[in-house]
Amino acid sequence: MSDLTLNIASLPGNVGVQAQRSQAADICARTGLPGKRDEDWKYTDISRLTATLGDAWWLTAPTAINSDATSLATIDDLDAYRLVFIAGQFQPEQSNLPDGVQLRPLSELLQNDTDDSAHCLFKLDESAPLFNGLLAANSALASDGLCACIGDGIKLDKPLYAVHVGNSTAHTLNGLMLGKGAEATLIEHFIGTDSDQAGLSNIATYLRLGDNAALTHYRLQLESDKQFHVGRVEVKQARDSRYTLHAVELGGSLSRADIVVNLAEPGASCALNGLFVASGRQHIDHHTRIDHNAPHCCSRENYRTVLDGRAHAVFNGKIVVAEGAVKTDSAQSNGNLLLSKHAEIDTKPELEIYNDDVKCAHGVTVGQLDKNQLFYLKSRGLSEDEARQLLTVAFADEILVAMDIKAVRSFIEKEAFSKLPNLGDLEGVLG
Amino acid sequence: MSDATLTKKTEPKPEEFTNNEYEAGFVTDIDSDTLPPGLNEDVIRHISAKKDEPEWLLNWRLEAFRHWLTMSEPHWAHVQYDKIDFQSISYYSAPKSQEDGPKSLDEIDPKLLETYEKLGIPLREQEFLAGVAVDAVFDSVSVATTFKGKLKDAGVIFCPISEAVRDYPELVQQYLGSVVPSGDNFYAALNSAVFTDGSFVYIPKGVRCPMELSTYFRINALNTGQFERTLIIADEGAYVSYLEGCTAPQRDENQLHAAVVELVLLDDAQIKYATVQNWYPGDENGLGGIYNFVTKRADCRGPRSKVSWTQVETGSAITWKYPSCVLRGDDSVGEFYSVALTKMRQEADTGTKMIHIGKNTKSTIVSKGIAAGHGQQAYRGLVRIGKNADGARNFTQCDSLLIGDTCGAHTFPYVEVKNPTATMEHEATTSKIGEDQLFYCRQRGISEEDAVNMIVNGFCKDVFNELPMEFAVEANRLMEVSLEGAVG
Repeated sequence: MSDLTLNIASLPGNVGVQAQRSQAADICARTGLPGKRDEDWKYTDISRLTATLGDAWWLTAPTAINSDATSLATIDDLDAYRLVFIAGQFQPEQSNLPDGVQLRPLSELLQNDTDDSAHCLFKLDESAPLFNGLLAANSALASDGLCACIGDGIKLDKPLYAVHVGNSTAHTLNGLMLGKGAEATLIEHFIGTDSDQAGLSNIATYLRLGDNAALTHYRLQLESDKQFHVGRVEVKQARDSRYTLHAVELGGSLSRADIVVNLAEPGASCALNGLFVASGRQHIDHHTRIDHNAPHCCSRENYRTVLDGRAHAVFNGKIVVAEGAVKTDSAQSNGNLLLSKHAEIDTKPELEIYNDDVKCAHGVTVGQLDKNQLFYLKSRGLSEDEARQLLTVAFADEILVAMDIKAVRSFIEKEAFSKLPNLGDLEGVLG
Repeated sequence: MSDATLTKKTEPKPEEFTNNEYEAGFVTDIDSDTLPPGLNEDVIRHISAKKDEPEWLLNWRLEAFRHWLTMSEPHWAHVQYDKIDFQSISYYSAPKSQEDGPKSLDEIDPKLLETYEKLGIPLREQEFLAGVAVDAVFDSVSVATTFKGKLKDAGVIFCPISEAVRDYPELVQQYLGSVVPSGDNFYAALNSAVFTDGSFVYIPKGVRCPMELSTYFRINALNTGQFERTLIIADEGAYVSYLEGCTAPQRDENQLHAAVVELVLLDDAQIKYATVQNWYPGDENGLGGIYNFVTKRADCRGPRSKVSWTQVETGSAITWKYPSCVLRGDDSVGEFYSVALTKMRQEADTGTKMIHIGKNTKSTIVSKGIAAGHGQQAYRGLVRIGKNADGARNFTQCDSLLIGDTCGAHTFPYVEVKNPTATMEHEATTSKIGEDQLFYCRQRGISEEDAVNMIVNGFCKDVFNELPMEFAVEANRLMEVSLEGAVG
């Protein structure tokens, strides 16, 4: 791991950032990759990463990708401010940035970091929930990403659409800060170009919401088949702020995301929606953690999983209600649909509650398509396949309907159901 | 309205209700034949010799002990306690009068009988009135076994395990450690090495046990950890209902209890295992109290077998146990009903494991946790549906009731499903006693104390309904004693 430190010297950043980088490299060398004995990685065997990429799994190998954004499978009819990252590097000529908003790629910020504002992005807290060596590697090696600060009262007219393209190994660090009363939509879209090549997308996204700010966050993971994807979303919410996440996991060979939300001040609320559609030998794992640290906060969580082939999905949703966080309102729901004999789901909805004035509920279901429902549809003249399609779509639809940007929603609908063999032809079903 | 305010003022504070002194706190003065504290191979040889055990059992114990030495103490449970010094525990303690072996109740040390009477378990009365055979365990040796004759007629074997080792060695050798292997976990290994007594039950083919079997455990001698070992075998088509209940005298030193319970079910067999656990919980500062680290597991080997665990856990400073069901046989059924109450500084990390292996296996989990004062309550459960468990079905419901703003309730359910035909549902809620519920009762002239009792009893009803009649009454009383008047 010592050569990880060697890599740092060539990376951008002022003295402060460089010091943090080498500190992160030390932590990474010390902790290494999480093992199966680690409770948070009990069901996800990350050793597949080293088996594929070797011991220097973190090594960034920039590959030439000669595609421009127009030829990529991006969401075309989306009216948005577009930021394109190829192999982890920002592509100014393919991007268009909004005026009047402090928004720039991390690479640019690191080069002209006069007021030392990149500092906080590289700060690591080893005691943070779900901290691991991969996050440390991100801090040590990240050279680009999206950095934005949306001032008080500013409401962005169009969503920020960050497209991350590539099959190489890249460590991307994003930071988005919303001032008082600011409103924005962030769409992170991860796509691959070459399905034979394997790499690691290591993405950390830090979000800060000021008083009464509102952020809608789409996290669309459609990496190519062999790609490893590891992500962390860390959200800190001030008074009465609102955060909504739509996490979609469709691609990648092994994908893991840690979503950590801190409801730090009274009245903050968050909603996490997740949709996994996996087939083949895909492995998808989401660990979410919501900390209710203040009174009158509200959290909603709804995850739906559709598994086919030999896919393996893991969901771990933890909600912690601190001693003083009275009048907490929290609900969590996780539904899982297994379409194949070889698919596997491991789910663990956890509650940790330290005061009595709370309303907390969670529910999990695992099952296959309901025979009675299938029979009902068939008795109405639908074929077996059509009936199965309709019920599967209905199952996933609960997450999709919550997406309020129509272009994103129909794009995901199309991508998600084309993955499942019996669901390829949606036209007949959706009519 | 002003009347209501006046009444409110004269009502005692909630703390006055919750902090009831432990009712069964007394020490019986009996001369115990106790080994000095410490654990090594000689201690195990001594226990084995004292019990007149065959060679194979001694070797089994030693093997468990050697394995135990290589294991490290687990710390993953959501409980906090001072480190246990396993060398400061005395591993053997027997009431002296046992040496001669009492033939009937009359020969038993009168002080023992007195103890039971204080606890409200009159052995003789039970013999006639309740129709319950009692294998009462005082410290580590069984001192009285009643109704043996009647059970013998039915072919049922119900005796202390040490006696079973002597009289039915082939049965014990065949089944001991077959459900919970000696190296299963840290405390099971320790138990395997040093267990001194417990109950042995064998129900032969097609026999429905004519009465409910019951064991009352009682920890008595100072510094003596209890290492009970219970083995129940239900042969093809057999049925038995087994009750286990516990109280312990008040003491300021923590006492370790690491029992192992193994249930074996062959084809079409059914076992109901009910526990009411009310050991000394420690005082309100968390001083003293029993550490209850128990391994309980049922193995449904035969098709269509059914096992049901029902537990009411109100005592112990720390409760750490997961009565489990291995549903191996096709169409076998596992059930788990639990009420756990933690108050003062009590901590509980309890739940169950349902391992679905056979086809069309079903399991039901109903867990009710109540936390008051500084109590910490955790439900930790595993539902694993294996690849071949076609048509497996699980339903899980775990609810927590919080009373007061310093307690905690936690839920850690693990769900692992590898079969698409399986159906599993998990639900959990956490709430407190509603002010409107209390108001409604008060309005109708029910005192605050009675109202809380009613609400808690209603909350626990699903579980109490599963208890045998006489236990249900006892459980209700226990909840009342432990929780009187706690106000939401």
